[in-house]
Amino acid sequence: MAEQGNPPIDTSKIKAILQRRKKKMKRLLSHCVHCSLCAESCFLFMAHKGDPQYMPSYKVINSLGKLYKKKGKVDRETLEGMKGIVWRNCVLCRRCYCPVGIDVPSMITFARSICRSQGVYPQPEDIPKESWL
Amino acid sequence: MYDLIRGPLVWIAFVVFGVGLVYQVIQFFRLTRKKETLYVTAASPPKDSEKRKGKMDRIHEAVCYLKKTVWYSHSSVMIVSAIFHFFLIVTPFFVLGHSILLDRSLGFSIGSLSESMTDGFTLIVLFSAAFFFARRIAVARVRAITTAYDYLTLLIAVAPFLTGYLAYHQWFDYGAMMFLHILTGEVMLIAIPFTKLGHMLFFFLYRFFIGSEHSLSQANRTW
Repeated sequence: MAEQGNPPIDTSKIKAILQRRKKKMKRLLSHCVHCSLCAESCFLFMAHKGDPQYMPSYKVINSLGKLYKKKGKVDRETLEGMKGIVWRNCVLCRRCYCPVGIDVPSMITFARSICRSQGVYPQPEDIPKESWL
Repeated sequence: MYDLIRGPLVWIAFVVFGVGLVYQVIQFFRLTRKKETLYVTAASPPKDSEKRKGKMDRIHEAVCYLKKTVWYSHSSVMIVSAIFHFFLIVTPFFVLGHSILLDRSLGFSIGSLSESMTDGFTLIVLFSAAFFFARRIAVARVRAITTAYDYLTLLIAVAPFLTGYLAYHQWFDYGAMMFLHILTGEVMLIAIPFTKLGHMLFFFLYRFFIGSEHSLSQANRTW
């Protein structure tokens, strides 16, 4: 498999992508009341014996939430860290429930698209190193 | 300063609250669009045309539905939350002091409950808030997503009740407590449309209008 290489992160491109759905995404992020009632609806959370990093709210806050908080000014290391959250910790099964009605999968999908725009996505060699279950 | 918070700031707070909520509703409908209703939601009743449904059948359906929700998996949190939200909304409308103010200012009031009752309601709100505060600290998964903003919004929501209770019982300086009571009430009103306290509106917009598996009606809108 070809190496990703380390091209510089185009923060202006990330910012432009974030801007496109800012109204919707920032609203959804701000309306999360951080209640954690979404947790048990995620089967990965249940399979990992209640590890908070698999909670839908945790995933969103630490991926898309972080991108908006930093206004897109992130480095490769940050995006690589997010890669695990949005790909390993979520399979987009859409099972997640939110009492307020926040659409978590759309936010994870959006975070994935931002990572992809910078060439950050799971590589086959990542899989043996990390436990996917 | 007291004249400011007792006079113009009251109107500013209510106007910002009202206009802010209207703005959010308009933005919600602008950012969403209608779509064909495809979902059979968790709230949809099971199809059963063979027998006429009586009261017990409907109760059974309701219980089956609730067992699939957080009301079953997190009963204590949901019960405390329901009690907290109910008394949070009801108490300010029926407190004697507010009723008198309304009557003197606008010439009408909606009546009030007894002071001992509203005093009890305030305590219920305060104890419920203490439960949420304790939960934020003690429960690991809640702590994992908690920031200073969460503590601040809880304080904004609870401060009017706490200061009102302290003022009513004349603990500490009455004038200072009343000042803080009025000010924190205005801060709360202004904060509602623009912070996560807006879930008071958005719960209904999202759960009743956005179509998803967890919609509470035949919702037909999407982002």
